[in-house]
Amino acid sequence: MADLSIQVREADGVSILKPSGFVNAHTVRQFEEALERLVEAKRYAILLNCSDLAYISSAGLGAIMGLVETVRGNGGDILLCDLQENVFAIFDTLGFTQLYRVFPSEAEALAVLSGEA
Amino acid sequence: MRVGGDTSEFRLTIPSQTRYLNLVTAVAKRGAVAAGLDDSTAAKVSIAMDEAVTNVILHAYHGEGDHQVEIGLNFTPSRMEIHIWHSGEGMRDDQILLPDPSEYVKHPRKGGLGLLLMSRFMDEVRFHQGVGRSECCMIKRIP
Repeated sequence: MADLSIQVREADGVSILKPSGFVNAHTVRQFEEALERLVEAKRYAILLNCSDLAYISSAGLGAIMGLVETVRGNGGDILLCDLQENVFAIFDTLGFTQLYRVFPSEAEALAVLSGEA
Repeated sequence: MRVGGDTSEFRLTIPSQTRYLNLVTAVAKRGAVAAGLDDSTAAKVSIAMDEAVTNVILHAYHGEGDHQVEIGLNFTPSRMEIHIWHSGEGMRDDQILLPDPSEYVKHPRKGGLGLLLMSRFMDEVRFHQGVGRSECCMIKRIP
């Protein structure tokens, strides 16, 4: 199995990025490039579906932080959903659950985003 | 692996390349479970291992992949110790400045997050800078 694979799809005007595997110092460039491609395409409503994300290290969190200001500055946001327990622990330990909106499921995140559109 | 009395010791040496992070985190997680830690805690131990080895590769060795990182796991009935030795640029405990999470939320920035995760997920984190050899030691107590 590859260390990281990333699916990107569109739903209701939202770009859903679904990483599978590990985001760490070895794979972070791949993760960062996927996010950067969305921003370059002016896709500013971004949902990270983390259901298949085994773990994310501080390198991956740095990649999200590096782009969130640009995204929010263009009226969008980076949202998170379906976090596994240990991934939630990482986000929560660093206070990221206060910086980012986290949803239990993709459907709930999309419902909130469609209401904001 | 060395086993004697109530203690056991496991050593692993990897090249200073991030491609080996998955290997060492898997070893840490399996070792933590074998030591009696629950899955959730074992996952946190493996993340601390990822961050510590990443620090060595990227900061102590400045991303140069032709060095070695030596990892030791020591187990006693009461604790799991992770030792990471390297010959790159070392750190001392008094050089460590952890970000304050509440301030961090108000003023997000890159940097320091890995050390913060290590300190939150392990019970003790210590750095020792020796002559030609430095060490990061992390301890997780077993309830």
